[in-house]
Amino acid sequence: MWQVYFKELTELMRDKKTLIFVILLPIFIFPVIFGVMGLVLSSTTNKAMQEQHRYVIVNATQAPQFAEALFYHKNFKQLTTEKTSQADLIAAIRNDEFDVAIVIPADFNTKRANVEQAQWQIIYNQSSQFDFMYRYFSEIVADFNEQLQRETLTQLNVDPAKLTAIIKPVDVQKVDTAAKRENIGEKFGAIIAYILIPLCLLGASYPAIDMGAGEKERGTLETLLICPISRVSIVLGKFLTVLTTGLVGALITVGSFGIWGAIIGSFAGMAVVQEAMSAIAITELVLIFSLLLPISAVFAALLLAISIYARTFKEAQNYISPLSIMIFLPLVAAMMPGVELNTKTALVPIMNVALAIKELIKGTADYMMLALIFGSTLLLAAAAIGFCVHWFQQEKVLFR
Amino acid sequence: MIEIKDLAKAFALSKNNKLSDTEKQDVRYSKDAFHSVRNVSFHCGEGEVLGLLGPNGAGKTTTLRMLSTALKPDAGSVLLNGVDVLKQPVKARQQIGFLSADTGLYGKLSAFENIAYFGRLHGMSEKALKQRIDELFSLLNMHDFANRRADNMSTGMKQKTAIARAVVHSPKVVILDEPTTGLDIMTVQTVLDFIKGLKAAGTPVIFSTHHLDEVASLCDRVVVIDKGVSAFSGDITQFKTLSDNGDLREAFLSVLNGTQQLQQQGAA
Repeated sequence: MWQVYFKELTELMRDKKTLIFVILLPIFIFPVIFGVMGLVLSSTTNKAMQEQHRYVIVNATQAPQFAEALFYHKNFKQLTTEKTSQADLIAAIRNDEFDVAIVIPADFNTKRANVEQAQWQIIYNQSSQFDFMYRYFSEIVADFNEQLQRETLTQLNVDPAKLTAIIKPVDVQKVDTAAKRENIGEKFGAIIAYILIPLCLLGASYPAIDMGAGEKERGTLETLLICPISRVSIVLGKFLTVLTTGLVGALITVGSFGIWGAIIGSFAGMAVVQEAMSAIAITELVLIFSLLLPISAVFAALLLAISIYARTFKEAQNYISPLSIMIFLPLVAAMMPGVELNTKTALVPIMNVALAIKELIKGTADYMMLALIFGSTLLLAAAAIGFCVHWFQQEKVLFR
Repeated sequence: MIEIKDLAKAFALSKNNKLSDTEKQDVRYSKDAFHSVRNVSFHCGEGEVLGLLGPNGAGKTTTLRMLSTALKPDAGSVLLNGVDVLKQPVKARQQIGFLSADTGLYGKLSAFENIAYFGRLHGMSEKALKQRIDELFSLLNMHDFANRRADNMSTGMKQKTAIARAVVHSPKVVILDEPTTGLDIMTVQTVLDFIKGLKAAGTPVIFSTHHLDEVASLCDRVVVIDKGVSAFSGDITQFKTLSDNGDLREAFLSVLNGTQQLQQQGAA
């Protein structure tokens, strides 16, 4: 078995495709993609936050305090206009004369005096991806509203000491029982599982195809079968090689993801990425690896069984494609809101490992549940390996 | 000593498979199976070279695969130096040196590594392996490309490597499936000389071929397989008597014609 294992590893290490898929791709491509995405997102957000919006106010004299607050806000730049109708203002915005128009009714102060509600209008193009302008505007309006409320209540002789309680009778203080790590884990845990588990399959796919269908196509299988070693040893040697490449691919991905995440986070000021990385301890990484081991074994056995059945490399690729798609179903299910790890979900293959990885990253993993997942996945792996061994002994499979 | 008796092997046909008119007339096809080998018997003694002849698709490769334990026969027996390949396949494999019709080398491994891998699978020690590989490299003129990867070898280099791999463990029985196909004259001569060397060492050799000149120069015995049966089995002298002037081509064709006549009589 070990002779087969070491020979297969030697061949794989000399194969450019394996080096690309198992080592270079996880090291460079994925972090680069995430890094570029992060940088683009970060730069777009920063740009949107710093953008200055050109505004006009119709009937500004009706609300001088509001106009003043807007004038001194760093994200707004005041312009003047003679236009007052909604159609004219919309046309001006479309012609890029200014970005936003605030229309205060001409009778605003009269309505205020009569304690009537007034309708203001804000006219702008909302198609921007990052709508920070409306958020800033809403904050200023909220402050202005509170200011007016206080003035009105004071005029109505309400006790100034009670103003705050009247304006805001309920003040909710949020006490978050979740640690910072739990929050990060909830957000990132499922994504990490979503990346890791398919990579175990991706890393193992090419070697599995090469060692089954590839060996048939090259004509080396027949020679191997007549060596005085059992077919079980041949299968296990090949299986261990496929498993190794799958796990090495996943390990390199985790490592490079962490390192690149920290680098990109520190350079691009993405604190949330840094926090996510620092939240994961070595113990969690070991436990994640322990869970990936049996599920990778399941993948390795299935891939090898499919590959041995196929007559050619291309045929094997065709058979493996649906498997690659199928594993995303339980992964997507594990990412759904409200899907938690319990005794039922712990028995659903792939989904259970994804949920367990999320729990481990959150720091809320139940070790009994992890043992159940490990045990059930190990049983599944044993069944898959058993099937693969059985499959490898069938003439109708080997000599199709 | 190789003894093969009443060997038969059928492959199941797909349920959706529809037989063509030609296949319907072929005695090897039944409703649900293709009887690739129906009844093959022959023997090959120590130091004998047996030439396995037959048209394409006659059942030669299936017969050799059963001999080499890659396929299990449905009926019959194969004894290799008294070892029953059905009952003791692993023990039988230790005695066999098999060269398949495909060169079948690992492209990323060098000639030395390809041969050493199979030597190790046969349980050879590193010291014995190195000595043996060196010996084979000299016999087959392989020293020049010992460390070249199979992906970068010529057809002749590949075939030499495949032959060396087949015999690295000094097998007691050697089976070669079309070992000279596609090779240049010089390489063919090296291969034929190597087979003569095996014969001189007392190793029984079975080799399938379409080259009757090779049969004439090497073989002690001849077996002609046609439509899954051994249509002729005997020594080379007997085989030559099947033609008026001792021509092997004519002898071969007369055996095939005889099978056809028998089949037509059976059908009638």
